Amino acid sequence: MSKEMTIHLKYWKQNGPNERGHFEEYTLDSVNEHMSFLEMLDVLNEELILAGKEPVEFDYDCREGICGSCNLVINGQAHGPKERVAACQLHMRNYKDGDHITIEPPRAASFPVIKDLVVDRSAFDRIIEAGGYVSIKTGSATEANSILIQKEKADEAFDYATCIGCGACVAACPNASASLFTGAKIAHLNKLPQGEIERSNRVVAMVDQMKEEGFGDCSNFAECEAVCPVGISISAIAEMRKDYMKAVMSGD
Amino acid sequence: MKLDSKVPGGPLEEKWNKHIKDIKLVAPNNKRKFEIIVVGTGLAGGAAAASFAELGYNVRSFCIQDSARRAHSIAAQGGINAAKNYPNDGDSIWRLFYDTIKGGDYRSREANVYRLAQVSNEIIDQAVAQGVPFAREYGGNLANRSFGGAQVSRTFYARGQTGQQLLLGAYQAMMRQVQNGNIKYHPRHEMLDVVVIDGQARGIITRDLVSGELCRYEADAVVLATGGYGNVFYLSTNAKNSNVTAAWRAHKRGAAFANPCYVQVHPTCIPVSGDYQSKLTLMSESLRNDGRVWVPRKKGDDRHPNDIPEEERYYYLEERYPSFGNLVPRDVASRNAKMVCDDGLGVGDTGLAVYLDFRDAIKRDGKDAISAKYGNLFDMYENITGENPYERPMRIYPAVHYTMGGLWVDYNLETTVPGLFAAGEANFSDHGANRLGASALMQGLSDGYFVLPYTIGDYLAKQEPGKRYGTDHEAFNEAESAAQAQIDKLLSIDGDRTIIDFHRSLGKIVWDKIGIARNKEGLEQAIEEIRELREEFWQNVKVPGEKNNYNKYLEFAGRVADFFELAELMAVDALDREESAGCHLREEYQTEEGEALRNDDDYSYVAAWEYKGLNGKLEETLHKENLEFEFVELKQRSYK
Amino acid sequence: MPSFTKALNSQVGRKIMTGITGIGLMLFLVGHLVGNLSIFGEENAFNLYTHALESLGPLLYVIEAALAFFFLYHAILGISIWRQRKKARPEGYNTYKTKGGPSHQTLASKSMIISGAIILIFLVLHIWHFKFGPTYMTTIDGTQMRDLKKLVIEEFNKPLVSLSYIAVLAITILHLSHGAWSAFTSLGMKHGETSKKVQVGAYIFAIVLMLGFISIPLYILVSGSV
Repeated sequence: MSKEMTIHLKYWKQNGPNERGHFEEYTLDSVNEHMSFLEMLDVLNEELILAGKEPVEFDYDCREGICGSCNLVINGQAHGPKERVAACQLHMRNYKDGDHITIEPPRAASFPVIKDLVVDRSAFDRIIEAGGYVSIKTGSATEANSILIQKEKADEAFDYATCIGCGACVAACPNASASLFTGAKIAHLNKLPQGEIERSNRVVAMVDQMKEEGFGDCSNFAECEAVCPVGISISAIAEMRKDYMKAVMSGD
Repeated sequence: MKLDSKVPGGPLEEKWNKHIKDIKLVAPNNKRKFEIIVVGTGLAGGAAAASFAELGYNVRSFCIQDSARRAHSIAAQGGINAAKNYPNDGDSIWRLFYDTIKGGDYRSREANVYRLAQVSNEIIDQAVAQGVPFAREYGGNLANRSFGGAQVSRTFYARGQTGQQLLLGAYQAMMRQVQNGNIKYHPRHEMLDVVVIDGQARGIITRDLVSGELCRYEADAVVLATGGYGNVFYLSTNAKNSNVTAAWRAHKRGAAFANPCYVQVHPTCIPVSGDYQSKLTLMSESLRNDGRVWVPRKKGDDRHPNDIPEEERYYYLEERYPSFGNLVPRDVASRNAKMVCDDGLGVGDTGLAVYLDFRDAIKRDGKDAISAKYGNLFDMYENITGENPYERPMRIYPAVHYTMGGLWVDYNLETTVPGLFAAGEANFSDHGANRLGASALMQGLSDGYFVLPYTIGDYLAKQEPGKRYGTDHEAFNEAESAAQAQIDKLLSIDGDRTIIDFHRSLGKIVWDKIGIARNKEGLEQAIEEIRELREEFWQNVKVPGEKNNYNKYLEFAGRVADFFELAELMAVDALDREESAGCHLREEYQTEEGEALRNDDDYSYVAAWEYKGLNGKLEETLHKENLEFEFVELKQRSYK
Repeated sequence: MPSFTKALNSQVGRKIMTGITGIGLMLFLVGHLVGNLSIFGEENAFNLYTHALESLGPLLYVIEAALAFFFLYHAILGISIWRQRKKARPEGYNTYKTKGGPSHQTLASKSMIISGAIILIFLVLHIWHFKFGPTYMTTIDGTQMRDLKKLVIEEFNKPLVSLSYIAVLAITILHLSHGAWSAFTSLGMKHGETSKKVQVGAYIFAIVLMLGFISIPLYILVSGSV
């Protein structure tokens, strides 16, 4: 039979991007150990709504760890204490009766708060816009097997391509850097022959955009790798740097 | 309303090519003058928006998520089918077409399905060129696997994240066009209505989900790629924000809704653990390749599963279907799980689960071999349930997964409202009464990359380029006021029950009575109960917050309101269809062995419903599109 | 393609230059230590070594200018990165905790700006202290030269001086233990097995190097001379 716990919550409330935020506290008395973290917040909101109070807003969609919508910072850790899970896949059995949990939005100037725990991550879209694609029009592709790719290479590209764009890397980075996100897309495409043609332009444009958006620099803390729900390695950043150097040196 | 499928004549193999040859083209200088709205950025919407923009049209793309990359296509695990026949195992366009028609239990349109199989190969080419990292063989060529009981290996995959990789491919193509300025991109916008002027779709009303503001957008054509309606069940494998609102409101503006009762239930999901449950998680059905499904023979047997001896275990799929065993199709597996649980044999706290046991496979192949195949799935299961599937059988239960029904579309994917198109899961077109595994991704991308870019041109070529009525037109005023009125109404009720509470109650009715198995009595009851609950919803729902701010619960309230209406239509449609077909099992229409019994003489039609009004009860008129099978012979499915 | 200046100012360029200047400074430190250790060598070795350096004439200025450039560039980049971090996260977390595992968030990496600032201040004092300190003279093999050895022994006999040096050098261990690993990472080293070895190497390098430096004030403080 499942266990029930009392959990003391402290969460960020902020009515809009230009409003001042503050913490609010609430104690939930019957948190089931099988609940996901977000289901616990659903229960919190149900109680708040019925009590005539404003619920706390947070982003979510798939609740199976792939869409990248959720991005809570839980007790100071992006996506909470468990390795390689998004907050939606964190279950309450990782906590014990009487625990105190502080929930904050990812804090970065480039991710302005929309409301409470919901932030605007459109900066990520703009980094992709800058060059995170292969310029191929619909219908102009060649026969799929005419491009042969070494299995190891394809697997490596996949490891980088698996990024869910949640922004935990930015949230956890002491510098609020977006290097892991940017590096992962660059490394995915630049590892593959399809990405070769635009390799230099891509890396330069995306790195520029990252700065343009106001993210911090990377200081090799590797905290991003530690919090990444899909375990993307900071080798992605190394790939980005190598490609950038190559682009600058080759002068094209 | 007259349903004209506009299927071109001629041999099956030549219909699409002939159609492309015959359709009208828009001159490049005129393309610039046309504006297309695409709602939804999943595989269908993302692919369509990118392809339209590449052709030179002005595109506006809308999605409810904070980024186009989060559309729920991202969660598809298994793979995407194509008739490449790389493994040389006898696959062909014809075979993919035939399997899809047969899998759909002969309730889909031949010409559409054949076209789907035809363009399937181009999809793979396109995705590979975009840099989608599909699995590869050591020789460097693309790998294939057999999926969902298919006899050939035609499924392309990217680990268990094929949907994610294909979606990111489409998203990136789209972002490229956003940067070029050819797509105007509106994330965090929800479509609340279609604006119809002189019988043609001319724009939409959206709510900016950040500011709460209602916005008007005019265009020459509108494409809805807004996904399926599985969330009517409250619990499903759909994302929390997946909804029917865009499709349903289009339906209320004149677009026929087809086959709403066709809902696919996936047999291998993690069961519900409590009332707080917000969604269900699917586990790849590949697990059934090695896992054995069973329940205790004795009711209420609460022994640890490992203590239940072999002779007291009821391997019901193996016993009932000796030749397919645990690998019967999704609908059969789901139905049987429900049957044994209804008989009181279910396991776990809720009694709504069956065991999927790997004990024998581990004994046979060793733990390492099983871990190599299913390690990530086992980890996921353990993370969610806290139980170790290497030591204790998994508990699984069916969950709503995909909806085959949707907006009725003709061969051009145009709804019954001219200028309004529907693509992907939002339309009804290709899967009949049951969708095969790895076919959803194929259909979404086929519609978006390779069908709509042609067919929408045919429509636009007949329109006057650059014609604008202006967003201050009466039709825009009316649509916006209606949307505003509903929002105001929802916020003003201030009742005692939350939206989730209502949604959960609605979901229970729909699951119990319009779920895996349906019967006349249950459906009639469902209609009554839905109406009553809907009545109460409009009297007693409590929607918190403000309209002019980010307000997730207000979004939900509007969506649940639409689910309440759709649910009634699902019951009406299920009641009308007095046969069993694919995922639609009417208990009255079964063979003696309990298998679905089709009635091809009377029900070989697409049920397209026309909205007539809502006065306590939903008023809809049925239009039938008869399905003619010129090229395949109708057979009864058998998996014995 | 970006202009060279733009490339240097990009977030990749900045980090690469931090790495390159860092490696340059580490090489300098190795040379500096080898030279310094000659104080334990034969009677006149240390003064001969410093005299040889001074005899380089204009070349010495070039080397000194280059060194100063490396130091300043490295410091400016460090400060600029730190300032950008304040801009990128104007509102901090109420609670913040590392997740461990592959993270390199350690006392060393978190205090780079502080250890760096201390080193910078130390550097100014150090140059002022010895290079521009009292000039004792000596004659070796008929050549008159500065008796820096005398000054060193005299100064390090003052407990305050030698203990301050030892403290700063200990802090430098922190800076180098992250910096030596980080420099290679900035220059494209992947985060795999090699990286783990390089991190171990960085710890050993930082400790050995600084123990070498520390040995001088410590020895003089304890024994009174060399």
